Amino acid sequence: MADQGGSQHGIARTSRARTEEQRLNDLDRIKKYGELERQVRARAAAQGDYSAEVLQLTGKLLRLNPEYYTIWNARRRSLICGLSSRPSAGSSCSRACSSTTPSGTTTTSSANSSSSCSTATPRSPGRRTAGTSGTTADDDDAASHDLEMLKSELRFTIPLLLDAPKCYWIWSYRLWILRQATERLRPAVARRIWEEELGLASKMLGKDRRNFHAWGYRRHVVAQLESAALAGGSMAAAEFAYTDRMIKMDLSNFSAWHSRSRLIPRLLDERGADDTARRAFLDSELNTIRNAINVGPEDQSLWYYHQFLMLGLVTPEGRAAIAPALALADRVAYVTREIGEIKELLEDYEDEKLIYEGLFDYTLYLCRLENRQPNSDERAGLVEWLGKLRRLDPMRNGRWADLERDCGLKEGREGE
Amino acid sequence: MPQTFQQLPEELQLATSAHVKYIQSLDTRKDEYDYWLTEHLRLNGLYWGLTALHLLGHPEALPRAETIDFVLSCQHDNGGFGAAPGHDAHMLSTVSAVQILAMIDAFDELETRGKGKAQVGQYIANLQNRQTGTFAGDEWGEEDTRFLYGAFNALSLLGLLSLVDVDKAVDHIAACANFDGGYGVSPGAESHSGQIFTCVAALTIAGRQSLIDKERLGRWLSERQIAGGGLNGRPEKKEDVCYSWWVLSSLEMIGKTHWIDKDQLIAFILRCQDPEKGGISDRPGDMVDVWHTLFGITGLSLLQYPGLRAVDEVYCLPKSTTARVLGR
Ligand SMILES: [Zn+2]
Repeated sequence: MADQGGSQHGIARTSRARTEEQRLNDLDRIKKYGELERQVRARAAAQGDYSAEVLQLTGKLLRLNPEYYTIWNARRRSLICGLSSRPSAGSSCSRACSSTTPSGTTTTSSANSSSSCSTATPRSPGRRTAGTSGTTADDDDAASHDLEMLKSELRFTIPLLLDAPKCYWIWSYRLWILRQATERLRPAVARRIWEEELGLASKMLGKDRRNFHAWGYRRHVVAQLESAALAGGSMAAAEFAYTDRMIKMDLSNFSAWHSRSRLIPRLLDERGADDTARRAFLDSELNTIRNAINVGPEDQSLWYYHQFLMLGLVTPEGRAAIAPALALADRVAYVTREIGEIKELLEDYEDEKLIYEGLFDYTLYLCRLENRQPNSDERAGLVEWLGKLRRLDPMRNGRWADLERDCGLKEGREGE
Repeated sequence: MPQTFQQLPEELQLATSAHVKYIQSLDTRKDEYDYWLTEHLRLNGLYWGLTALHLLGHPEALPRAETIDFVLSCQHDNGGFGAAPGHDAHMLSTVSAVQILAMIDAFDELETRGKGKAQVGQYIANLQNRQTGTFAGDEWGEEDTRFLYGAFNALSLLGLLSLVDVDKAVDHIAACANFDGGYGVSPGAESHSGQIFTCVAALTIAGRQSLIDKERLGRWLSERQIAGGGLNGRPEKKEDVCYSWWVLSSLEMIGKTHWIDKDQLIAFILRCQDPEKGGISDRPGDMVDVWHTLFGITGLSLLQYPGLRAVDEVYCLPKSTTARVLGR
C-alpha cells in the first residue's frame, strides 16, 4: 500500500530512552486519550445520535489524532442523522441508521420530524417541492440549517489540514462533506461552497507546490464545478492559466507541467482551434519550454514536458492531442529544429547528461517518423552521445547497455 | 555482492538480530503515547513487522496462535477487518489480514473461527464501483488505485478474483496512465511511484502487463535514483527508503531492475538502519519505524542481499508464501 501516514518522515533519530518524567507524562497523556476514546465510542455506539456533544467529543479526539479513521466515520454517521434534507439517491443515511432507531435527539432549533431518518421523505435536492413532510418554509429552514452544519464541518477540518497536509483521512472527510452539499443543497448554494474549495486548494498548493493530495484535490474540485449537478461549464482555460502562474513561480514544478499536459487537448478543442492556431500553440509551448531548459538543463521536470510535446509530433496518441493535421514534412522539420536547438545547448553545458539523452531520443524519433534506420552521421552521433551518457551517468549503465543493444550500436562502438 | 554476509565490510552488514528485536518490541510499548496514537494501523503494522521477520528468516519471532487470535478479533460480521478491535472495517486492514493469514498458512482458521473466506471476498467485492471498475476503501467512498490493487491482491490470495469485474478494473488502470509511462491515483493525476506499484502489480495479477509501456515506464522509474543512491517517488523530490520498494518492485515486475545501480541503493538502505537498536528510517539519521523497516528489507531482498529470503515483487509477501498459496 502506498504511504498511509503513521510512518515517520523526516524526524531526526534521537536516543529512544525516555526520562522518568517523560514516561510519566506519556502515561498521563495515554490515560486522558483513552478516557476520551471511551467516551466517544460509547456515544458513537448509540447510532443516530447527532448532538453538539458528539461533535465536540469526536472533534477533540480528531484534533489529537486526525489519522483515526473510525472516529471520522462516527462523526459522519452522527452528522447524517443531524442533517435535515435528504440526498436524492443511494441514501447513506439508511446505511448509517438502519441498525437502530434514530433517537432524533437533535439539539438544534430547526430539529423537526424530518431529522429522523426513518420518517424522512426522500427529496430531490434539484427539484424542491413541498412534500409530505413539510412546507416550502420548512424546506428553507432545513436547507439553511444544513448549510450551516456543512460549513461548520469544513471550518473544523482547516486547522487539521494545515497541520497534516498529507493525511488522507482529512481530505477524504472534507470531500465527503462537500458531496453532502451537492446532494442536499440547491445547486447555486452548493456551487458557492465548491468555489470556495478551489481557494483552499490554491492555498494548500501555495504552501507546498508539489503536494500530491492538493493537486488531486484541485482536479476533483474543478471536475465538480464543471459538472451538470452544479450547473457548471468547462474551466480548462482558467486551470491552464493557473498552471502558467505556478510555472512562472517555479519552473521546476512538474506537477504543474503535468497538469498542463492533461489540459491541452481540451483547451484546444474548446477554443475550436484550427490548424493554424494549433500550430501557433505548439510553437509557443516549445519556445516556453526551450527557454526554461536554457536556464536549467539539469531539471528533469522540464525535459519530461519537452518530451510530451515531442511525443505530440511522433506518436498517433500524442498527435491527436495537439496538432493532428501537421503534415509529415512539417513534423520532420519540427523535430529537426529541436535537435538543432538542443545541440546549441552543448556550447554552454557540455557535461549535462539530459542534453545527450534528449539528442539520442529525438534522433531516434526522427528516424521513426521517416520510417528509416539512422544514417551514418546520426549513427556516429548516437554512439558518441551514448558514450557521454555512460560517463556522466554510470548509475544507469544497465539501461545504456540495453539501448546500445536495442539500437544496434554495439558493433559501432567496437569498430572505433 | 559477495555471496555471504561475513565477507561484507561492516557498513554493509544488515543488523538482522537488532531488527528482529526491534520488531518484537513494537507490541510491548504500551506505555508510549505513540503506541495508542497509531492503533488505527495495528493490523497493517502487524503485517509489516511479520513480513519483515519472515524475510529476515525469523518467522517464529511473533507467536502464531496470538497472531491469528488478534487478526480474527478485528473482523466484522460483514467479513471486513478493522485496524484493531473496535475500529471500522476498511479495505487496507482487510488486505493486511488476508496477507497475514496467507503468510502463516491460517486460511483454515478463517473458515472455522472467523467469518470465512467467502464473506471476506464479498466485503471486498462490494467495494468495487461497477461503473468505473475502481475500488473504494470503505463504505464512505474514497476511491484510489491503492484500493484496487489491495482488492486484487487479497482476492487472488483467497482464490476469489472472479467475484469482481476484472476487465472494468483493468480499463480504469489504463485510464490512469500518463505520457511518461507512469500511473496516477486516478485518471488525470500525476505519475507517482506508489501508485505505479499498485497499477503495475494489479495489471500483473490480472495477466495484462501488455498494457504497460515498459520502455517508457522503466526509464521514468530508473530516473528515480538520485545522487547518494536512494530513490525518490517523483521528479525533483528527495530520496526515501520506502521507494526502495515501490520503485524497485515495479522495475522488477517489468524486468528492468538492472537499470539502476544496485550496490549504491543497498548502501543507501543500510545507511538508514539503526544498527544498535534496530529498525530502518526514511533517510539516514531519521527516526526508524516499522513501515520503513519492512520496505528497506524488501528492497534489500529484491537486490538479492545475502541471507535474506526472497520477496514476491507483486504481493509483497515471502515468495515461499505466494508459491504455497498461488503456485507462483
Ligand atoms: Zn517513506
